[in-house]
Amino acid sequence: MTATMQLTKVEGRLFVRDPIALFFGLVFPALLLVLLGAFFPGFTDPSPDLGGASYLDVYAPIVLALGLATLGLVTLPPILGGYRQLGILRRLRTTPVHPARLLSAQLIVHLAVALVAGSAAVVAAVALFDVDVPQLPIWLATSYLLAAASMFSIGLLVGAVARTSVSAQAIGMGIYFPMLFLAGMWIPRSIMPDTLRTVSDLTPLGAAVQAMEDSWFGVAPSAWTLAVMAIWAVVVGLLAVRMFRWE
Amino acid sequence: MPIIEVEGLVKTYGKTNVVDGITFSVDEGEIFGIVGPNGAGKTTTVESVVGLRKPDSGRINVLGLNPIEDRFELTEQVGAQLQEGRLQDKIRVSEAIEMYASFYRNPKDWRKLLDQLGLGTKADSQYRNLSGGQKQRLSVALALIGSPTIAVLDELTTGLDPQARRSTWDTIERIRDDGVTVVLVTHFMEEAERLCDRIMVVDQGRVAATGSPAELIERIGGDQLLRFRPSEPIDDADLKELVEVDSVEHRGSNVVVKGHGNVVHAVTSLLARRRIIAHEFRVDQTGLEDAYLEITSDRRSRGNDVEREAS
Repeated sequence: MTATMQLTKVEGRLFVRDPIALFFGLVFPALLLVLLGAFFPGFTDPSPDLGGASYLDVYAPIVLALGLATLGLVTLPPILGGYRQLGILRRLRTTPVHPARLLSAQLIVHLAVALVAGSAAVVAAVALFDVDVPQLPIWLATSYLLAAASMFSIGLLVGAVARTSVSAQAIGMGIYFPMLFLAGMWIPRSIMPDTLRTVSDLTPLGAAVQAMEDSWFGVAPSAWTLAVMAIWAVVVGLLAVRMFRWE
Repeated sequence: MPIIEVEGLVKTYGKTNVVDGITFSVDEGEIFGIVGPNGAGKTTTVESVVGLRKPDSGRINVLGLNPIEDRFELTEQVGAQLQEGRLQDKIRVSEAIEMYASFYRNPKDWRKLLDQLGLGTKADSQYRNLSGGQKQRLSVALALIGSPTIAVLDELTTGLDPQARRSTWDTIERIRDDGVTVVLVTHFMEEAERLCDRIMVVDQGRVAATGSPAELIERIGGDQLLRFRPSEPIDDADLKELVEVDSVEHRGSNVVVKGHGNVVHAVTSLLARRRIIAHEFRVDQTGLEDAYLEITSDRRSRGNDVEREAS
């Protein structure tokens, strides 16, 4: 088995052995949708403000984006920061393994977790609250995976340079909240001022919400949103490999 | 034939030369010890040899490779167990070693290696549940999994109980018997004396002495101390007449003789001729520990003299 596959296998098992990471990674988006749908009065009712859609319809893609941001910016960076802090990277440094392989293993594990978590959230939304079945499932999956890759690249970059797990967490959080804000977590993108929405369009999570919302409700995502996510994923991912520090 | 050559190695942190012109070579197949007080520059030296530190000046050649420029190839051929390295708490022994095996071109059979290091029954244990000795042996196993030509082991037995230390020593001897050249950093003289073919004493960033353990002991005189309680009084003058005897002292009913060379034989034959029985006969030999203390403290006081002259 190649080094990357071995690393992925081991990192995957370690992820599964961490109950907190596992819970947040796998269940968080679905749980959040359930809580929103079950406890917010009127959240599932069609709203004239939203052109007949329910708040949950609008929030479903945002919750998917929130799950990815949590996984990429809250869960991932402290793993690598902790490896550096504890000397796990110091031990690996004496071997021929290339940092790109370590980062790839984290990327693959987190993508796999995201895939399960995203599917669970979609199923929960559709089955429990009457949200429309995603109209363009292939486009939704493509947008979701590109969004995941862009979020995880940013998490990898933070993990590549942070000295400790705590500093990795702090830097990750510092990116997490602005990212969520621009994705429409607190002010929906549809009512954002134009300049703010343009900035949102250029962030990976803003583009992700737009692409996923379009795919869900039957519009092919624009090339622009897909390109924004892909560029973030590739550029920041390469930067993470370049800037990776062992100690 | 030397397979590691270090010439005039200098490494500076801030204004201090942590390593201040170290030169040595390691021959194929030997266990080469690097000993010295804390902060003497031992770890910086081996970290430079394995390419983790870039020397400020000097030349390092390991198996014909430059550790910085040819770092990737070097990692294939040099296995290293360094201080402050560790594994994930929840990783299993078998997972760790199988993963490390996948990094190398010619990995060893990891199951066999675990058996050889006495970890065969621990393959399914998580790292956090291993004892200190088991963690160290796993770390050695990870250093050896790539079938290296050279193994660098830094402070391998620090923090281990005496039993674990001894079993680690057996491990190191077995590594050498397999044809691997071992560079061992330690501050236990007993360990260096027992294992090393040659030792380099490092002090204040410089080489204080190099040689086999016996040569280093010889260098400081190789004194022997004999103690016994004679069955009848014995004349000091008779003892002092022996060329091997340097001094004679009385402590209560005990006689303490300090001497060199074959002093044990000289004294026992004299006693036999006089028909005197030596009760509680004991011989203390100067060990590497004494030699080491002498070599390093010698340099300290000389160093201080120089400073005093300068000021």
